[in-house]
Amino acid sequence: MNEILMIARKELLSVVRERRVLFTTLILPIIIMPLLMFGPILLFGNAARQTQETVQKVGVVGVPATVLEELRNAKVEPVQIANPQEAVQNREVQAALVFENGNYTLYGRLSGGATQSALVVEKVQGALRTYKDRVVADQLQARGIGTEVLEPFKVETRDASREQERAAGLFAFLIPYFLILFIQMGGMPVAVDATAGEKEKGTLEALLAAPVPLIQVLLGKGLAVFVMSLLSTLAAITGLLLGGGVFRNLFAAQLQAVQDGENSAQLGGALALDPLGYLSIILTAVLFALLIIAIMISLGLYARTFKEAQSYMSPLMLVMIIPILFLQFSDFLKLQDWYFALPFVNVMLALDSIVKGAATATQLGTTWASTLAYAGLALYLAYRNFQREDVVFRN
Amino acid sequence: MIEVSNLQKTYRKFEAVKGISFAVQAGEVYGLLGPNGAGKTTTLRVLATLLKPTGGSAQVAGFDVVRQSLEVRRSLGIVNGGMKVYDKLTGYEVLDFFGSFYDLWGPKLKERIAWAAELLHLEQPVLKKQVKDMSTGMQQKIVIARAILHQPQVLLLDEATAGLDVFARRALLDFVKQYAELDKTLVYSTHVMSEAEEVCDRVGFIDKGSLVFEGSLKEALELGSGNLERAFIRRLEEAA
Repeated sequence: MNEILMIARKELLSVVRERRVLFTTLILPIIIMPLLMFGPILLFGNAARQTQETVQKVGVVGVPATVLEELRNAKVEPVQIANPQEAVQNREVQAALVFENGNYTLYGRLSGGATQSALVVEKVQGALRTYKDRVVADQLQARGIGTEVLEPFKVETRDASREQERAAGLFAFLIPYFLILFIQMGGMPVAVDATAGEKEKGTLEALLAAPVPLIQVLLGKGLAVFVMSLLSTLAAITGLLLGGGVFRNLFAAQLQAVQDGENSAQLGGALALDPLGYLSIILTAVLFALLIIAIMISLGLYARTFKEAQSYMSPLMLVMIIPILFLQFSDFLKLQDWYFALPFVNVMLALDSIVKGAATATQLGTTWASTLAYAGLALYLAYRNFQREDVVFRN
Repeated sequence: MIEVSNLQKTYRKFEAVKGISFAVQAGEVYGLLGPNGAGKTTTLRVLATLLKPTGGSAQVAGFDVVRQSLEVRRSLGIVNGGMKVYDKLTGYEVLDFFGSFYDLWGPKLKERIAWAAELLHLEQPVLKKQVKDMSTGMQQKIVIARAILHQPQVLLLDEATAGLDVFARRALLDFVKQYAELDKTLVYSTHVMSEAEEVCDRVGFIDKGSLVFEGSLKEALELGSGNLERAFIRRLEEAA
């Protein structure tokens, strides 16, 4: 046991003295998490608000004067143009409206994510809706019919999600994603340095010549990777909580404007879990960490050099995207209990279910047992790799 | 102290060591001499239990290298030219780390570090530096200090002077002689004949995995009319 701790201490000491690694694993998550969570929301919110408050140019062709007036009321400035498509493409105007044969055609740049043009299109649509409602109301009134005929009954939609699910909002998706991301990101530099790094630097032979069983060397290295993964994840969570608090205070007005009266779920949400829920998240994350660490060490030991190890481990990040994609569509699938035995997918699904307060004992039990089994298998493979002379002396 | 009998090591189809036998006694420096790729490093790695032999047997300090690998590792130290220690750690931290595997702690560890430092002419302030800030010679001294901290009965040195400047090389050769005087067993592997001539009591010429000559330094010199290099070349040519 003492040897395991000594080896872990040595690995951590080496990392602590590497400023670059310290920055990427411990400092960066604290900075990047609030930026990732709140930056885009604030940026888009501000842009949207500015678009609403300022006046943009909209090209018009054959649009009647009454509609032009309606457009001006909606804070857009109609300008006569010859070619609407070209004018929008060339950004001479943010949108263009053409009236032809009694129909309106609206042009805008609607591809490529959130565009200012799309927001202006919405403004124009709003103006046209208002105009249309007024025309309909006038015509009904001329026939002696009230406008209530247009709305014979009201439709009210209520959110029937669980309280935890409602509160979680984006968290339900982001918590599994970030936990997995930072567990992997935090552990990778140590995993590479402790395995292929030792080979490349020529330090492994001295360690292997010491009277320490291989399994203890492996566990010592694994413990160091685990500690760094844990610290990196804690840094990310700290960044999220502290950064979230700072952002909420500094940009309260802007956030409120973006929220537009909706509940906090839109802005990332908040965890509303009981102690058992938190424990379940921690246990799931720890088991996942064991699995990913064993895989990283196994790959690192196989690699000849630092670069080779990185090239083996980086695709792991991509592999993780598959269950994340799966998670986005999980609501459209009828979740079977056996899904919770699939490696990586099970961890995502379990974390998602815990955050939403929908996890069952069978699902969690299956996730934990299977992840532990996969971690054991990966550790065994790492040990087998470590025993292979052609792997250890491959450099 | 070291008994090697018909030792073989094959990597897939390549026979790196083809049944060599030799013995080294306490207080003796045995020179394992051969060109690059002759099988020296493989032989020493088998003795250090880093590699498993595919045939024959070897005993170090009375322990079998296959069945009693941990006991063997407690009884020996190994240094090779490419061996490095952790560059982010200080010299003292490196020795503290490796010392802990031999139950060296506290005052006992300090005493051993002082002993090794004196033997290797390592000044205490150097030990406070991170290894990356030391010269190559100093780094090599830390590698050696790590290997002798537990005062092993057997010390294996494989191309240990590779990359060292003339001063560091001289210090290492002096150390080899001094360590042998402590009644320790040393195997000194090199392809530099002048070094072997200076420190070895007995030598073995190894080529293409086979031991083509074994005898005292005097016998080897006689074979080459007073020149070890000539003896080495002559013996290898005869064997070919």
